[in-house]
Amino acid sequence: MTERAYTDATQIKGGDSAEPIVTMEHVVKRFKDFTALKDINFRVGRQEVVVVIGPSGSGKSTMIRCINMLEEHDEGRIVVDGTELTRDVRNISEIRKETGMVFQGFNLFPHLTILSNISLGPRQVRNMPKAEAEALARSLLERVQIPEQADKFPAQLSGGQQQRVAIARALAMKPKVMLFDEPTSALDPEMINEVLDVIKELARDGMSMIVVTHEMGFAREVADRVVFMADGEIVEVGTPEQIFDNPKEARTKKFLSQII
Amino acid sequence: MIVWLKRNMFRSVGDSIISVVVAALAGWVVWQLLQFVFITGRWEIIQVNLKLLLVGRFPEELMWMLGTSILALSFWIGAVASSSKRDPDKKTSLIKTGFGLLSRFGLIIALGAIIIALAGTLDAVLLGIGTVAAIALGRLVGLARRRIAVLAKIPWLIWQILLVALPLVMIVQTLLVSDLSEWGGFLINVYIAILSIALAFPLGVFLALGRRSSLPIVRLVCTSYIELVRGAPLFVLLLLAGVALEFFIPSEIAPGAIFRAVTVFTMFTAAYLAEIIRGGLQSISKGQTEAGKALGLSTVKIIFLITLPQALRNVIPAQIGQFISLFKDTTLAGAALSMLELLKIGEAITKQDDYLGQGLVYESLGFVALLFWVGSYVMSRESQRLERKLGVGIR
Ligand SMILES: Nc1ncnc2c1ncn2[C@@H]1O[C@H](COP(=O)(O)OP(=O)(O)OP(=O)(O)O)[C@@H](O)[C@H]1O
Ligand SMILES: [Mg+2]
Repeated sequence: MTERAYTDATQIKGGDSAEPIVTMEHVVKRFKDFTALKDINFRVGRQEVVVVIGPSGSGKSTMIRCINMLEEHDEGRIVVDGTELTRDVRNISEIRKETGMVFQGFNLFPHLTILSNISLGPRQVRNMPKAEAEALARSLLERVQIPEQADKFPAQLSGGQQQRVAIARALAMKPKVMLFDEPTSALDPEMINEVLDVIKELARDGMSMIVVTHEMGFAREVADRVVFMADGEIVEVGTPEQIFDNPKEARTKKFLSQII
Repeated sequence: MIVWLKRNMFRSVGDSIISVVVAALAGWVVWQLLQFVFITGRWEIIQVNLKLLLVGRFPEELMWMLGTSILALSFWIGAVASSSKRDPDKKTSLIKTGFGLLSRFGLIIALGAIIIALAGTLDAVLLGIGTVAAIALGRLVGLARRRIAVLAKIPWLIWQILLVALPLVMIVQTLLVSDLSEWGGFLINVYIAILSIALAFPLGVFLALGRRSSLPIVRLVCTSYIELVRGAPLFVLLLLAGVALEFFIPSEIAPGAIFRAVTVFTMFTAAYLAEIIRGGLQSISKGQTEAGKALGLSTVKIIFLITLPQALRNVIPAQIGQFISLFKDTTLAGAALSMLELLKIGEAITKQDDYLGQGLVYESLGFVALLFWVGSYVMSRESQRLERKLGVGIR
């Protein structure tokens, strides 16, 4: 298992020589006596788009939450952009500056306007002057196609719009890698595509990303590699064609047959 | 009107009977009240003792300072009220604005008019007119800031400090010049309440955060404090403060009654506020903190920029409720610390030689109750406004 995950990692974009943006080695995560992640080995190359699929409770969220230290891993090594994750406070804030995260439930700040939601990070973490941060926020709103919503509050926006603001908010920190945890699962069907389109656009622009999703069509379209997880393990890694059309593992086959 | 009555009050025989009985009772009560207020009530007791009720034995020659403080405060209120953002697209007619102002300030204006009428002096009339003028002037200055480019350039915080400086200087000046032990009447209730609120709020926030701290020692201290203070009756704490504050404070300083009262009210209110605010913090979803963390914000910034502002907004009604009960509870200080606050004076004047044994407690207590009621009601109304204003765009 471990061996295969590594061999697959050599297929990452940019070839062998490129330093991966995220490296996970023998990562174990426990909640009390329950092991949520069992020996995860994985690399994400620069500009690579990795889509993570798997049944509920398989540890997909836990894995990406370990990458920006919303959860602390118990064993193994995680390296983000050359910096290994430790418990040191300064290290944590460095890592979080490099990683952007988009949540299933948007988690916008309801008491702040859209513009302030986006400019908060740059102003408070990167000490960017107000005018500059707001200009940045407006350009990002342009990019996610809702420049006209700048002065509204989150509750005044549709779910799809809110999630696009959440993406803009994460991008405002100029992260090196974006983590998406089921970004469209809380959305009404008619809004899913407007969010996926924004993510696709990001992929085209060369952003490194890890996307947990149940949208298989989207996975097939944008993923460089698809990771299938079950029971806290990476069961199978491959190109979308390999995973969807020609899965090797029994658990992958079973999962795919259930969702299609 | 008829249709409305029919639909809401006379839908069935049972409803009709209840409606008629309630209406009759209400009518009777109102009739009695009106008779008391306009015919049988002997309001000269209030008239004669008006100054005592309002400011106690505050020195006559310093009254002008008190008046100036009120004017400065009015100016500040006017300025603050108008510097808040308003929707520029929303046009309101003059009549509508006037009506809005009346429904907002009508009660205070009415009370002011009653007091001026009771006082019946030129000074009182001038102060009344001056107050209205000061509020209007404050509003103009507030408007000017939005219209005039030079003023608009002044940073928000500096502007607020400039505005608040005037009333603050006046009040401090009054405090320094006069002898606090000569303060009395309603003035002292208001003074204790405002000071205690201003001190209890930050302390309450601190205790609420402390109780949720990850440091066990801080948590223990804050939790013990909160539970200890909430477990004691306020009156007992006040009585204790009358004798026992020397335990904590060197006896040479010998704090006055007002100091003792403010200390107790602050400690007591802070403990309750802490629990209210903690409840507010608990109602904020974990996703908010996680979103803050994901952006790289520090724990302190997450609290002060994200969770605390939302928590405080969510519990405005409960907080204001606590402040209102603090305001009314200041009457306990009279009995516990033998302080000449409004209620104590209200009782005392019925025992003056001229009025002893004439059953004028209704007039006196009625007036006392009116002052507290107007104060509490205005606080409650303003809190609802604040809630609406801060709730922009929130479900
Ligand atoms: N804070 C926690 N405390 C205890 N157990 C947890 C915690 N967070 C997650 N788990 C457990 O870890 C396992 C993996 O959870 P995780 O949320 O990573 O799954 P997932 O693959 O993201 O599932 P889903 O598709 O439902 O989001 C689950 O069994 C879950 O119950
Ligand atoms: Mg999940």
